[in-house]
Amino acid sequence: MRAAWLLCFVAAAALAQERNFIACPVVRDTKTVPCFLAEYQGELYYLGIQQDITDKFHPPQLKHQVLVEGRVAEGPRVCGGIPLQPLSISVLKEIDLSCDTILPAEPGMDAPPAARGAGPSSVRPAPRGTPSAALTGRQEFTVRYAFNDEYADFAAQFVVTEAAGYAKRIGAAAVKVAGYRATTLLSNGERLVEKTGLAEKRAQDVATLLRGSGVANVSVDWKPEAEPADGEQDASRRRVTILVMP
Amino acid sequence: MYRLLSVLAIALPLAAQYQGNFRVTWIEPGSKETLPAADQFENSNGTLGVINASGPVDTNGHPFFTPLGTNGRACVNCHQPAYGMSVSAAGLRERWRETDGKDPVFAAFDGSNCPDLPQQKESSHSLLLHRGLFRIPLPWPPQNADGSPKPVEFSIEVVRDPAGCNTSREYGLKSAHPAVSVYRRPRPVANLKYVLAGAPNIVLKTGKLADRDPATGEPVSMNLMADAREPSLMTQAISAILGHEEARTEPSHQQLEKVVAFESQVYMAQVEHIFGGSLVAPGGPASLGPAALRDRRAGVLGDNNYDPVFGLFDSWKGKDYFRASVARGADIFMFRQFWLRDATHINSIGLGNPLKRTCATCHNAQMTGQDLSAGWVDVGTANYPTWTEPSTWADSSELPIFKITCSKDADPHPYLGRVIYTTDPGRALISGRCVDVGSIVMQQFRGLAARAPYFSNGSAKTLREVVDFYDRRFDMKLSDTEKDDLINFLGVL
Repeated sequence: MRAAWLLCFVAAAALAQERNFIACPVVRDTKTVPCFLAEYQGELYYLGIQQDITDKFHPPQLKHQVLVEGRVAEGPRVCGGIPLQPLSISVLKEIDLSCDTILPAEPGMDAPPAARGAGPSSVRPAPRGTPSAALTGRQEFTVRYAFNDEYADFAAQFVVTEAAGYAKRIGAAAVKVAGYRATTLLSNGERLVEKTGLAEKRAQDVATLLRGSGVANVSVDWKPEAEPADGEQDASRRRVTILVMP
Repeated sequence: MYRLLSVLAIALPLAAQYQGNFRVTWIEPGSKETLPAADQFENSNGTLGVINASGPVDTNGHPFFTPLGTNGRACVNCHQPAYGMSVSAAGLRERWRETDGKDPVFAAFDGSNCPDLPQQKESSHSLLLHRGLFRIPLPWPPQNADGSPKPVEFSIEVVRDPAGCNTSREYGLKSAHPAVSVYRRPRPVANLKYVLAGAPNIVLKTGKLADRDPATGEPVSMNLMADAREPSLMTQAISAILGHEEARTEPSHQQLEKVVAFESQVYMAQVEHIFGGSLVAPGGPASLGPAALRDRRAGVLGDNNYDPVFGLFDSWKGKDYFRASVARGADIFMFRQFWLRDATHINSIGLGNPLKRTCATCHNAQMTGQDLSAGWVDVGTANYPTWTEPSTWADSSELPIFKITCSKDADPHPYLGRVIYTTDPGRALISGRCVDVGSIVMQQFRGLAARAPYFSNGSAKTLREVVDFYDRRFDMKLSDTEKDDLINFLGVL
């Protein structure tokens, strides 16, 4: 009984650190790249900085609300906001003209170091490795999506390309694509469910990319029902898995 | 005295740019001449250089120069060497005067505002004569390659139709063969290895497979045409000969191969400037002139400070007033930061909105300034309220205006929502997607001085109007000097 109570306490404490909310993003200029922030219940949270398309953080967009799914991280404020890590952000599709705040740069309000500044790149790209080269046997690749979105962004395209390269290299006997849609539990208790049909759309799109990349023996499946939410791992359930079998 | 002249070169707004009355060589369809390996053509900015990398070209019977259809036109009608392998509005007006409107370039099908207008009237060709725009009738709804209809995410209504073709009983949206007529500039048939380069399997902006070249099965750059509707030079040639030349049958494979071979070896760029002298003299910027285009590798990203889009102009940062202005313009293009906002397929693909960057972020392909990725972007030229057209009825232009209503199940346009007013739906007329409304494929920056007006809708009569549009659109707050520098830079490319 005592152990169960303790478990509940730990779980509640963990959820207390989650910040899942919808808000207008706020852009703060700095002397280097802009910071992206969002306000929730009177507190400002730091989401990230402008980077290149290859970076894993893709900034939100003014004229759109953003779904923030993050956990309060240790450390000082960044650009005036509490950092969240891990963090997933999703740009909501409908436009919201009220999301239009750009704050001017202020002395002392600096962005974290950026691999690329606001001008042209000054770093010669390193030769791109092929992580799949080291792989053997049965492998699963996971393509992740923003909320209610079927767009395979740069990171998703990279995963699909890797999976395709691996499948072709080993002459995969079967490539099983499975699509999912998910639910997000907001910190205010509200649940957001991704649209019907999205799991199939995601799966079919990935299968098309694989086939168009020369992969044979691709089968497609999807789970029509939305994955349940727990408020912690919801973003990771918006996905397509690619199971490559020798 | 020389300095005074140089200062004048900067101080004057160059309002008369590209409007001089120069004699240029107009190549008639069916002509029998030999085009030299290297040729030069005067324009009001100086001189354009054109290189045939494969050597002299005999036009006699050559399918690029020979009418293959029924209206007397050949490819060369709209792709004249003197006009940077495109054609300028000023050149078309001159052609109208010289031929009393009888030149086949004014063919009713697409050289007039609509085929059912009285063709002898100059006003029936106003879009071509004023803006250099040809009518592009696109089937509605959009079609797959086999002619089957594509799924469409939006409905389209004609709100205004000054040219009359979109409401025409015979040619309009409600005709027996429904079509949407948009009006666009012909793109230069030169430097094409750069236009065709950079063909990844997956299109970054859509996350979908790139179109394939039907002849090879390989992915294509999707940077041909204003809407990327043709995958290859071969398919483009077939479409143009059946459409623009009104041929009743497809050209032979041999003819097509000859057209493509010619197109693939033409390079053009400005070689001399009236204030800057020779642009290709030793020691100058290495990217200028057509020989540089011929010799450089295509498909290279130039959005960097170690090997920039148009190379380095440091050698011109001296006392020569004009050349120093060009060098400053090159720096503005590469390094002047501004808030890039609400541009579909730039801000919407994961870069964030706004994006604090420079011109070179989008115009990133070395030597041409196109986008190395499939280049359609809604920069705002076609869609209200940022469009290039007047914003009030009193000053309304001759372009049609369409109302696009996106279905509730579709993703809306990222910055305009579900109802969009546009003069050209752009890529959306091919993809059927709401997010693509108003997106136009970027054009190359070379030989600009020879082929005004600019933008796919010919709305910018001068490079100043191009720069002014961007200054307004992105609130760049360019000073007059910065504008002059950019104009001078663009004028030498």
